[in-house]
Amino acid sequence: MLVLKSLDIDLIKKEKKTLFSFFALYSFLTIIIITTISFLYYNFQKDLMLQEKRVLLEDYSNDFITIIKYMHLNFETQKDYPRDGRFESAIYDSDKIQIFSTLSSKEIQFDKSIYLSDNKIHFINQPESYYLGSKYIIIEINDDKLWLIKVKRNILLYGSLAFIFMTFIGYFLLQLFLKPLKDALYLLDRFIKDTTHELNTPVSTIVTNIEMIDKNILDEKLLKKINRIDIGAKTISNIYQDLTYLTLNNKIISQNENLNITEIIKQRIEYFKTLSNIKKIKINTILENNTTLYIDKIKFSKLIDNLLSNAIKYNIINGTIDILLTKNSIIIKNTGRGIKKEQIDKMFDRYSRFDKSVGGFGIGLNIVSMIAKEYNLSIKINSIENQETKVVITW
Amino acid sequence: MVKKIILFLLMSNILLADLYQTNCIPCHNKIDVTLEKLFFRYLLKYSSEKNMKNSLTEYLKNPTIDTTVMPEAFIKRYGIKRKTTLKDEELQKAINIYWEKYKVFGKLK
Repeated sequence: MLVLKSLDIDLIKKEKKTLFSFFALYSFLTIIIITTISFLYYNFQKDLMLQEKRVLLEDYSNDFITIIKYMHLNFETQKDYPRDGRFESAIYDSDKIQIFSTLSSKEIQFDKSIYLSDNKIHFINQPESYYLGSKYIIIEINDDKLWLIKVKRNILLYGSLAFIFMTFIGYFLLQLFLKPLKDALYLLDRFIKDTTHELNTPVSTIVTNIEMIDKNILDEKLLKKINRIDIGAKTISNIYQDLTYLTLNNKIISQNENLNITEIIKQRIEYFKTLSNIKKIKINTILENNTTLYIDKIKFSKLIDNLLSNAIKYNIINGTIDILLTKNSIIIKNTGRGIKKEQIDKMFDRYSRFDKSVGGFGIGLNIVSMIAKEYNLSIKINSIENQETKVVITW
Repeated sequence: MVKKIILFLLMSNILLADLYQTNCIPCHNKIDVTLEKLFFRYLLKYSSEKNMKNSLTEYLKNPTIDTTVMPEAFIKRYGIKRKTTLKDEELQKAINIYWEKYKVFGKLK
């Protein structure tokens, strides 16, 4: 995404969501793998510890067997169960019935020879003969848990390192997957940049020369033709400015000032007059005098231009545009075919167009949203299909 | 009524004890190995109560050189015992008395 940023490309919400989903899934799988490996490592270390303890426990059990062997031969006089400070013990007969026990655990896992349970290590030995009837001799010692501390430390350390490493791998994988998308967007932006650059001189020449013509001396027929050229030139000029803004947006340094937006709105309405006249659209305005907003002049003009341009473009013949300016809001309402509710959220996405019968690149409202975002302006669009569309900007 | 029950239990015990006293002890007093030593030989080989009682029943009903727990020298000296003349029920009762008398369960401290 950083790469895309450097190319002046903002990913739309859906793409970001997809990337986050991929990253979440990747992280989840990484955690599953690390957890599985950690579990295997824990079991391996536990077995290793039990094998180390086995030697000691075998010695204890052999000592214990020697004593019960003696007791078996002298049971008449020797009935004191052998107790040892180093371990606890128990004897069970061949039917696994307890003969005697000093163990703290009551559940014995006879299917294992050595195991860990209730923080105690248990070792089960079978003597060569059943002294005192005991087929199973269980020796129990405390688990000092030193191995567990080491295992936990290693899992935490190496698990974290592995996760960081896998995150880096994920980041590079993500870049690899994004490359085709990045290339496509790069080509598109490059094309737009080149096109706008080539359009600059001819558009400027046309617009400047039309403005220089004294329209008062022209006859009606020629005036109509000149007006049409003026509209066409202004449309191209508007598209040119949008494209320039889009491609150079991140490099333009805002020159913010307390702007008299009432005047700017009036100027922009005047600018679009010829365009609205061609569709016989009536523009009604209620503008609060000397309303100011701390904003860059060019960016505010761009915002109003795009909203007005849309209000004209998607309007009907003999339609109306109502513009209301208050101290903290602008409302631009136009008649027209309106927008479906489910399409409203996607309107600000770049290159999204819902009415293909009208020209455009689908970048106007994207520019509006970018400017609004920069100046913390809230945009709300309400639309009634086949009736009207209302754009409300508040600050 | 209570007196009758106590008397009945007392008599039963005496009768059962007699079963073991009269049928086992007289013969074993004639040999050097005590019944206790014999018990621990069985225990050493059969471990559990169930296994020991089963093998003892089987041996007493059909004593052979293959099923004895005693060493060869003992057999050479005293030979194999005769088959028991006790009925199955009586034999089982006598064995139960024998088990209760010498069992390890509950005797370790």
